[in-house]
Amino acid sequence: MAEKSLKEAEKIREIVGQDLLGGRIGLLLGWEKGHYWWQSRPLFAKNEADLEKLTWDSFCVINLSRYLLEELKEHGKVGVLVKGCDARAFNRLLQDNMVARDRVVLYGLPCPGMLDYGRLNEEAGGALISISESNGSVTLKTGTGEKSVERDQVLMKKCAECVYPDPVVYDQLLLSPQGKKEGVERFKSVEDLEELTPDERFAYWEGELSRCLRCYACRQVCPFCSCRECFVEQDNPRWQGRAYQPGENFMFHLVRAYHGTGRCIDCGECERACPVDIPLQELNRKLIKDINQLYGDYEAGVDAEADPPLLTYRPDDPAAFSEK
Amino acid sequence: MSVGVKEKAAGWEPLIVAFCCNWCSYAGGDLAGTSRLTYPSNVKVIRVPCSGRMNPMFVLRAFQRGADGVIVAGCHPGDCHYSTGNYSARRRLSAFKRLVEFAGFEPERFEVRWISSSEGDKFAEEMTGITERIKALGPNGKMRDARWQKKA
Ligand code: SF4
Ligand code: SF4
Repeated sequence: MAEKSLKEAEKIREIVGQDLLGGRIGLLLGWEKGHYWWQSRPLFAKNEADLEKLTWDSFCVINLSRYLLEELKEHGKVGVLVKGCDARAFNRLLQDNMVARDRVVLYGLPCPGMLDYGRLNEEAGGALISISESNGSVTLKTGTGEKSVERDQVLMKKCAECVYPDPVVYDQLLLSPQGKKEGVERFKSVEDLEELTPDERFAYWEGELSRCLRCYACRQVCPFCSCRECFVEQDNPRWQGRAYQPGENFMFHLVRAYHGTGRCIDCGECERACPVDIPLQELNRKLIKDINQLYGDYEAGVDAEADPPLLTYRPDDPAAFSEK
Repeated sequence: MSVGVKEKAAGWEPLIVAFCCNWCSYAGGDLAGTSRLTYPSNVKVIRVPCSGRMNPMFVLRAFQRGADGVIVAGCHPGDCHYSTGNYSARRRLSAFKRLVEFAGFEPERFEVRWISSSEGDKFAEEMTGITERIKALGPNGKMRDARWQKKA
């Protein structure tokens, strides 16, 4: 574990500790170590003993804002540690009226990007035992030796493509900002797919979607999927058939993505959570790209006051069909 | 497994589902009828209160259950009976059209048109147009529910 992140964790613990133990908040949402060193899971801290477990390392990838939906039912006021994506997720929930701003205390954590266990293993080329970090490089320890790689090489894909590593909303910023990232290439794979013929694209999606287990993990982690009743579980009318059919897979995926038009914050949690690696971001980003091109630039979650593009209109809007 | 564009069987006729808003396009269809204009019987009209009522799942369900082409028709922008329904529909259906194309549907399969209640001729023209285009393109197999059977 890097010295730096241990120091940072200490600092975070101290600040949130004052609020939690002083009674300003009833619960703190953070991260703790799970079964594996390469995973940090959500921590629900209520007391000093819980706070001892608080972790801030390169595996705190899970978006905590979404847990507010449940925790606010039980606690009057909840504190949350928010990275860039968690903060945009919070704005998303706020815009959907799913959380009350005055019942949440946001502790901002500018994020250096989280590491991908899969990529770490690939780089290590053998059984990875542990890692250590310093100054932008990661040392991988395997049974047979050590190897150093650039941190950028082993970032999670979604973090490498993240534009807003700094929280866009917070009550208190706990670490120093990383700065907005410029020149991030997000739409390359969408553009590549656009080059294909309709039949080729259909075959591509039919192949990718055929792996879908309909576990709905992608929905479960998503900050815009906060409806109390989701169309996939609705019985009357039953929109989503349960059968394993290509048509039903398309139904789920097109509608899931479409419900995110102008609302998806491009956090990549859906794709990370998917157990069968379906490139869900390509669907989300197609919509982000087109809606921006048609109706002006909009970044969901960045500004809670700005109207999402599908909630507004201009009389002279263009259309994507042949009539204006 | 489904297929993309299927072979045209002999005697194949496309099935077109037209979602028409109650106040303009459906009335436009009525006018086409009373003016004795003809349009292909391939087109099955479903009346919706407003183009803003369109749930994209209507369109996908139509494809699952046998439609070869889907068209949504509503009042011209500015003429919506509910003032702004079609302004919302324009944005939503634009995004949705791009998405279904991205999923692999041909652009011809899903269309949106503005047809007023006085445009009986335009109604007949557009319905003929989409039927012709889908005829040229061939049957749609994409998203088709394998359990769906066209009744003889
Ligand atoms: S769809 Fe995926 S990327 Fe978009 S907000 Fe939801 S979890 Fe994040
Ligand atoms: S997480 Fe993956 S497998 Fe599960 S429903 Fe979503 S796309 Fe399908």
